[in-house]
Amino acid sequence: MSLNSIGYIVKETGRNLIYNTWMTLASVSTVAISMFVLSFFLVLTVNMNHVTSVLQSQVEMRVFIKPHVSRAKEMTLLRDSRHWSGVAKMQFFTKQEAANTLKKEFPNQKNLLTLISKSNPLFDGFNVYTKRPSDIPALASRFRKQPIVHNVIYEGQVVSRLSRLSVILKWAGWGIEGLLGLATLFIIVNTIRLAVFARRREVSVMKLVGATDWFIRWPFVLEGLILGLVGAIVADIVVGQGYHWLLFEASNALPFWPMASFHQVMQKTQDFTLGGGLLVGVLASIVALRRFLRV
Amino acid sequence: MIRFENVSKRYANGHYGIIDVNLEIRRGEFLFLVGPSGAGKSSLIRLLYREDVPTTGEIYLDEFRLTQLKRRHVSRLRRQLGVVFQDGKLLTNRTVYQNVAFAMEVVGASGRDIHKRVPQVLELVGLSKHHNHYPHQLSGGEQQRVGIARALVNNPVYIIADEPTGNLDPETSFGIIKLLQEINRRGATIIMATHAKDIVNQMHKRVVAVENGRIIRDEARGVYGYES
Ligand SMILES: Nc1ncnc2c1ncn2[C@@H]1O[C@H](COP(=O)(O)OP(=O)(O)O)[C@@H](O)[C@H]1O
Ligand SMILES: [Mg+2]
Repeated sequence: MSLNSIGYIVKETGRNLIYNTWMTLASVSTVAISMFVLSFFLVLTVNMNHVTSVLQSQVEMRVFIKPHVSRAKEMTLLRDSRHWSGVAKMQFFTKQEAANTLKKEFPNQKNLLTLISKSNPLFDGFNVYTKRPSDIPALASRFRKQPIVHNVIYEGQVVSRLSRLSVILKWAGWGIEGLLGLATLFIIVNTIRLAVFARRREVSVMKLVGATDWFIRWPFVLEGLILGLVGAIVADIVVGQGYHWLLFEASNALPFWPMASFHQVMQKTQDFTLGGGLLVGVLASIVALRRFLRV
Repeated sequence: MIRFENVSKRYANGHYGIIDVNLEIRRGEFLFLVGPSGAGKSSLIRLLYREDVPTTGEIYLDEFRLTQLKRRHVSRLRRQLGVVFQDGKLLTNRTVYQNVAFAMEVVGASGRDIHKRVPQVLELVGLSKHHNHYPHQLSGGEQQRVGIARALVNNPVYIIADEPTGNLDPETSFGIIKLLQEINRRGATIIMATHAKDIVNQMHKRVVAVENGRIIRDEARGVYGYES
């Protein structure tokens, strides 16, 4: 295809889009809404996965030692408890190491970071890996009875519930997205149909003077692509601003909730919305041309 | 060269447009296609530019065999043809210049070629002064000249006109025919369906008469031959 033709096609596409202002706006908005909902589910999923992986990377059970207990006493408990039934592995950490781990888990929490850098309020402790998950409750209470132990926490149940929830979310998301996708397809198809209708005289003259089929089709295909892409970009901008705001609010309201980072989220949503926008645009073009543009 | 071999066209509703037509048209000819309304003139012309396909028989146009022509190659055939209609089929939202340039744009001509060629063609059809006018600002004859300019602009070998003077008064019609004659002198083959008896009789060109879908007369320097 020559440069002249490309110039012509781009010009005609622009003409179509501007001529049908309202349909153009309607199409872009539906794509944007549909992509926004897609992004909403993606943001949820990414965050669920983030929380799950943060929790999973945490050990099965953590035993915290009271402050100001001597290192020697800590080591005695460590040596003894290694042989308790159900214990697979033990790992000692200092409160400094605990602080470093926290920093990794909550990179967005500036307040928290300055707090633990100034005076570390955390505890020394043990990571305890059990042979079986069912060993956890008994071991936990045994550790709690030790005089130097401050407290014991474990979160195995949370992890398994979270991963079940994220599976449900995923399917609900795809279901809703399927319906929205159909609605989007429908409205873009109609937009292209109107453009074809508005240009039926041009199209008939083009055929008469020997324009090729694809020369006639391209402006309409391009129209579908642009509608899909612009809708996706609008959705991305809204989602980007929205998540930025959410991160800010969450860092105040839920300081210890591990939110997925801005980049983690946007990478995922951008891939899906741009891909989705292009896909729906191309599909709509194909449907519209098959049904309404008999060249 | 164009050749019809035993061509019939039967429409979906069972009516025949043309029946068993044999016809040969050489390059450079000027041919009138005459006959009463409903005779089959338009049917024959639509077959030529591959708007329709023959039901039986074969049409040859230079290197093309029209029944074998793939749909995606129809554009190649049409670039050999310039088609003119009674209603002009002009684009109302474009000027005279843009209407003519459009035909070049959509076959991928460069901007430079368009700027050079369009004024030449407008000059030839006598519309240089009107290049910025919209179709509704023109008389019927002038509109028809725009249609002819658009048919001409890509230098087709064949000009096919279906009653191009159908809406025009005799004097204006005569102007259009003179223009087509000039184009013919410059080398294009002209095939024109018409009702205009006086013009056909004056021009002494080849006349092919059609009635009820059949060719009933084919004369080298003919006359209209009907009392209409
Ligand atoms: N698209 C069509 N469908 C059905 N019949 C048609 C169609 N076009 C033309 N005809 C029929 O074919 C015959 C020839 O018509 P046409 O070619 O238009 O004649 P002319 O152009 O000489 O007036 C007529 O009987 C007409 O009714
Ligand atoms: Mg007719």
